[in-house]
Formats: sequence, C-alpha cells, structure tokens
Amino acid sequence: MSADNAYAIELKGVSFKRGTRSIFNNVDIQIPRGKVTGIMGPSGSGKTTLLRLMGAQLRPSNGEVWVNGQNLPKLSRSDLFDARKQMGVLFQSGALFTDLDVFENVAFPLRVHTELPEEMIRDIVLLKLQAVGLRGAIELMPDELSGGMKRRVALARAIALDPQVLMYDEPFVGQDPIAMGVLVRLIRLLNDALGITSVVVSHDLAETASIADFLYVVGDGQVLGQGTPQDLMNSDNPRLRQFMTGDPDGPVPFHYPAPDFREDLLGKR
Amino acid sequence: MRRKSLLDRVAHLGQGAIETVTILGRSGLFLVHALLGRGGIGGGFQLLIKQLYSVGVLSLAIIVVSGIFIGMVLSLQGFSILAKYGSEQAVGQMVALTLLRELGPVVTALLFAGRAGSALTAEIGNMKSTEQLSSLEMIGVDPLKYIVAPRLWAGFISLPVLALIFNVVGIWGGSWVAIDWLGVYEGSFWANMQNSVSFTDDVANGVIKSIVFAFVVTWIAVFQGYDCEPTSEGISRATTKTVVYSSLAVLGLDFILTALMFGDF
Repeated sequence: MSADNAYAIELKGVSFKRGTRSIFNNVDIQIPRGKVTGIMGPSGSGKTTLLRLMGAQLRPSNGEVWVNGQNLPKLSRSDLFDARKQMGVLFQSGALFTDLDVFENVAFPLRVHTELPEEMIRDIVLLKLQAVGLRGAIELMPDELSGGMKRRVALARAIALDPQVLMYDEPFVGQDPIAMGVLVRLIRLLNDALGITSVVVSHDLAETASIADFLYVVGDGQVLGQGTPQDLMNSDNPRLRQFMTGDPDGPVPFHYPAPDFREDLLGKR
Repeated sequence: MRRKSLLDRVAHLGQGAIETVTILGRSGLFLVHALLGRGGIGGGFQLLIKQLYSVGVLSLAIIVVSGIFIGMVLSLQGFSILAKYGSEQAVGQMVALTLLRELGPVVTALLFAGRAGSALTAEIGNMKSTEQLSSLEMIGVDPLKYIVAPRLWAGFISLPVLALIFNVVGIWGGSWVAIDWLGVYEGSFWANMQNSVSFTDDVANGVIKSIVFAFVVTWIAVFQGYDCEPTSEGISRATTKTVVYSSLAVLGLDFILTALMFGDF
C-alpha cells in the first residue's frame, strides 16, 4: 500500500529512460490530495513524460507510481484500465473524438462505463457542459470549435465520471488571454467544487503559480525544487531562480554549446 | 564518405535483424491482445457494423468495377487465344477458373490493401497523433478493444465477401463479352464452366486464400497505424508501408498457397 493517504499520487524513486537517454533519475514526487499541484520546468524537461508516468501510459525503468493506493506499473492491463476510471486527463490538443459531436464526446465515458438511462446521461452531460460554459455548443462537431472551446469540452469529458484525480497537460499553451483566464478559473473552481486532486503540468509560470497550492520544478532529470509558489520565488538555488524569474542567461546558458566564436568567424590561425 | 568496415556491416545486419524480430513480436502481441485479451467493450457489435460499412461497403464500388473489367478482359484474351485452337467454347471455363483460383482473391486483396488498408492505417495513425488513443486509454477504455478489434474483424469478414462479389461480377463481365459480343454459344459457355469448376478445389480454395489475405492485410494495416510515429511524415510512411508490405505478403502467400493447393506434390 501507499505510505500515506494524504497523497493522491506518489512517485517513489522513479527513473525513466528513452533508449539510452535518461529522462528522470530517481525522482520522488508527492501530490497532496485535494490540492492543485503544478509541475513546472523548461520545455523538454520531461513534464509531459512525468504526467504519462502518473497515468501509467509509460512504465518507469525503476521505481513505483502509486495512485489512489495502487502501484500502477504492477497492475495487469485490465486492472490498469479499471484504475484509470478514477483519473481524468486534459490533453494539450483536447484529443476530442473527431467523429462525435460535443454531446457524444462528453457522454462517451458514461456510455462505456455505466449503464445509466439515456435521460440521466443527457442530464449529466448538460451539467458538465454547463460547468465549463459550453452547454450551448452541444450539437457542434469538434472541427467547429476554437482551441479554447475544445479544451473546455475535453475538460467536461474528463470530469464526466467524477474522477478523484484530474491531470492537465499544458492547458494554457496557445490560448488567447480570455481563454487562458477561463481555464485558470475553471481548474481552480473544479478542484474546489468537486473536491478532487489536480495536477497541472505547464511552463506558464504566472498562470500556474496563481492557482497552484504547491509547485514542483523539474529539470535535468531531477526535481530542482518544491514548495509553495512563494517558497520557490525566494529560493537560493540559482537554477531555480533563473526559471522563476525568466532570466535569459544563467545556469541554463543562452548559447547552445558551440566552438569559440572568434575561431568560427576567422578560422584557426 | 567513410567506408564501413566488415564489423560495422555485420553489426548493422544484426541490428536490422533484432529490429525486425522485435516488430514481429510486438505485432504478434498486439494481435493477441486485440483479439483474445480480456475486457470487451459494450456496444462492440455496433462498432463492428460501423467498420463493416467503412471497410467493406465503401470498398464495394472499386471491387465491382474492377471485377467487371477484369472479367471482360479475361474473356477477350481467352477468346482470342482459344479461337486459334477452335476451343473458344471453353472461354467460360477459363474465365471462371482464373477468377476463382487466382485473380479473385489476389486482385481483391491488392485493391483492398490500397483502398481500405491505407485508410485504416491513416485513420488510426491520425488518432494517435491527435492523442485520441491516449485519451481513450485515460478514460479507461482499451484502444485495442475499442478501435483495433472492430477494424480487424471488419477486415477479416469483408475481404472474403468482396472476393466472392469480385468473382461473381467478373464472371458476369466475362459472359457479357463472350456471349453478347463475341458470339460464343451461351449453353456451352455456362455448361463448360459448370462441368469444370469444382466447389472444393476451386471455389473453397479461393475462399481460403481470401481469408488468409484478409487476415494478413488487415493485420498489417491496423498495426502500421497503431505503431506509427505520430507525425504527418510518420503517418505517410506507415500508409506507404501498409500498401507495400500487404501487396508483397499477398503475392508471396499466393504462391505458397497455390503450391499447397494445386501443386500436386
């Protein structure tokens, strides 16, 4: 069993490799239950990989991934699919089913996992769409929706089965300020109203820090820092400070490693 | 360019062999999980019907048109050759045997790979690149059961039926050219065909061939889509692989099956 019920998700000593390249090396992460936890880090630091490890879409090369008291990598394929009914994920693209309209997309998890009568499914779908402000878009097809609307419909689908854990993969990327504001508000609102645990993977510092109760910053295959947004802002770790303040140069250099500039321009003499 | 040493070449060959065996193993597990794995999906029959429509019914036009033309061409060619020996009355027998034993299953499988196989690969590849497969997984629905299995069964069922339809319209096209155009006596056209075509040797063997081709073509198409790199270039490469691998597999297997069925050894 997981050590502590205070955490909805626990990664214990997790390492992950792609081929011979190490993405994570002995990482420990604990996601507090009922809170919004942000996982931040520069692009390419493996944040989405971390989310996929939490959903057991990737298997760690070492370590344990506990979600709601179950060590996911040890589960059989069918048990894993059962465990995922307690989890919702909002993918970066929304990942709506393109052959289904908005209503059917949100109704999909209810149809495959419950035997509710049609009227009840309709009521639940309307409630979920009302929560994300898109009840009026019920008959639209995914290609008729804007990027922000797609994510909101996907969010309604992710909460259709009232999951205990909701994970967001880069929810703010490519959104205009209004859509971003709507998503920020929704993530916080849904977390508090439904009493769920939210994990927001993002590199948008201001938005994530504004809603997160707790933050992890990952980079170089490790956890660089953790704490409340304020703790991290005041951190002495130079790598962490550079990320939090957005300095273009620092421990992460502005220049990609290259030979001496003078030699490159003038040639070796 | 640096010349490769002998050791490099051996290592390269070994690497290629390992990758091939890995892909074969992965595709085998993929098939076993999709067809025999636990955890069925509610509404599976409806999913199958939907796929039978998009894989089978939508392939009907190309199969019917090709079947008619191939039957007509066979009849024309057969008539001109047989007429030299005064045996033009046997053209019905020739058209029927050629279609039932070879061209029906083989050409249908090749057309099916080009029309339905490539569409299956592109569709599943696109679902992968737009994270729809990942999304299904996280909703707690196994994409192997929900997406892959109905498409596999639809392919297994459709292709043999399409091959039979191809044979029927091919023989009809052949009869139209031979009887109505070239003036072959109708009675001998059909009687020769009836006397020489054996149900077990010709019709059943042709159906067995088309079942084998259905299995291989659909398996390749669906696996290539599921296993592709989720980029536009990856999907395009997977679609090409589906058509090339399926065509080669059909032609190679046709030789083996023909040798086993009609080889007399």
